[in-house]
Order: sequence, then structure tokens, then C-alpha cells
Amino acid sequence: MAEEKQMKIAWRIVDLIVGGLFIYAGVLKVIDPIQFARDIDNYKILPWSIGVRLAFFLPWLEIFCGLALILRRLYLGGLSILSILMGVFLAASLIAKARGLDISCGCFGRVSKNFSFAWHLTLDFAIFAAIIALWFAQKNERGTRH
Amino acid sequence: MIARALRQAALLVVLAFLPAIGEAVYFRGKVPWQSRLTSGQTVDVDLARSWGENAMWVDARPDNEFAADHIPNAILLNEDRWNDLLPQFLAHWSPEKKIVVYCSAASCNLAEEVARRLRDEAKLPNDIRVLQGGWEEWQKKNK
Repeated sequence: MAEEKQMKIAWRIVDLIVGGLFIYAGVLKVIDPIQFARDIDNYKILPWSIGVRLAFFLPWLEIFCGLALILRRLYLGGLSILSILMGVFLAASLIAKARGLDISCGCFGRVSKNFSFAWHLTLDFAIFAAIIALWFAQKNERGTRH
Repeated sequence: MIARALRQAALLVVLAFLPAIGEAVYFRGKVPWQSRLTSGQTVDVDLARSWGENAMWVDARPDNEFAADHIPNAILLNEDRWNDLLPQFLAHWSPEKKIVVYCSAASCNLAEEVARRLRDEAKLPNDIRVLQGGWEEWQKKNK
């Protein structure tokens, strides 16, 4: 029982870290949407006119999903969206690298401008792994409850 | 569980839309909605060439690409060695000349970034443009 409680606390901490990271990343991009639009455009996947519109929408989505994780409201929805966002982002980064594009991921606004590609990838895989782990934790929690 | 996750995800998408629309309305006059650079920030090869002596060419590509070949009289100024190269550039600079910055091709962003830094950091009052299509386009027109 005590072990179960400890695990629950540990997963709450992961929720708070992942949620907090997405809120932080979202706020940085909300402050400078034009820079984020440029970061999206650097991937050369979407036309500018779509990328610039996404630059206004995605940061708010990150903030709301981060809040969902922290407050545990709309939790599954938040996890689903963040899983998709991270999956798409990782795929886009790898494709861009394979095409020889020298990109700044834009994940943390201007703060991440000087991150190396290896550092981007490590950080993003770590976040993605944490999100996947949260899915399993959620599944186990539901299993124990039923 | 999946249906619940989808319902919640849809609700989060709708929630995120509301402030995003508000922010887009707030920024509507400051954002180039149709292209990354406005027409006033770029120039095509023919027009830039017609400026003749009134244009100052800036090569924003890495050193090795500049060394291999470049537009005649172009001055090297890239982000890798910005602090070293800026004084050399300023030695040739004239306030009356238009500045045309180029990088390797239409897909590169180096020229745009150098143009932005000349405007915002070096505070140059010149008409600063990015060459459409970059070096690749210049070569095509000079074959």
C-alpha cells in the first residue's frame, strides 16, 4: 500500500515536470509568435501561410495540455495531444536533419536557439518517453481501481 | 478510454483556439500572413543587378562556399564569424547604397538572418534586401 502511494507521488511529480515544461515552452512561444512561425518554416514542410497560423495555435495547445497534466483535468486528452505533438515533432526533426537543414527546433523559443541537434533530440526523446510512461501509469492506475 | 481521450482532446483543441484567435487579432497588423518576407524585404536578381554601383552585395554563406565562388565584389558576412567580419563589412559600407544579402538558395535562411541583424543590431539605415533564390538563382541568370 505504501509502495503504491509512493509510486503515485512519483507519477504526480512526472506530471508536474512534463506539464510545467509544456507550459513554459508554450508561454515563450506565445510571447514571440513570429519567431515561432520562422522556426516552423525552417523545417520546410509546411507553407508559410499555414505555419504562421499554427504558430498562434500550437503554443496555446501546449499550455492547455500542460495545465491538463498538472491539474489532472481532461488528463487523457492532454496526454493524447502531447503524444501526437511530440511524435510529429520528433519525426519532423529527423526528416529535417536527413534533408541537411540546419534548424533551431524552436521548442523553447529563443532560449533553445543555441541548442545542438543532439541536445534537442535527447531532450525531446526524454519528454516523449516521460509521456509514454505516463500513459502506462494511467493504465495501471485504472487497472488497480477496477 | 479511447473515446474519452478523444472527447477531451477535442475540448482542449477548442479551448486553445480561443486565446489563439485573440492573439492573432492582436498581432494581425504585425504578421506577414502570406509569405515569410514581404516584397519590400526581397529583390530579384535582375532588379538587384540593375542597381549597379548603387548596390552592395553581402554573402551570408559559410567561408568555404564564399571562397569557392561568389558574386563579383560581394563582401563576406556570415553569422559564424559575425564579430570578425562586421568591421570589414563596415569599412566598405556606405549609407547611400542598397544592401543585397544572399545565401545559397531559396531554401536557406542565412541571408534573412544577416539582413535582420544588419537592420536590428548594426542599426544600418540602408534599404536592405534578401536576394530571391540566392546564389543558385544568380548562377542560373549568369549562365
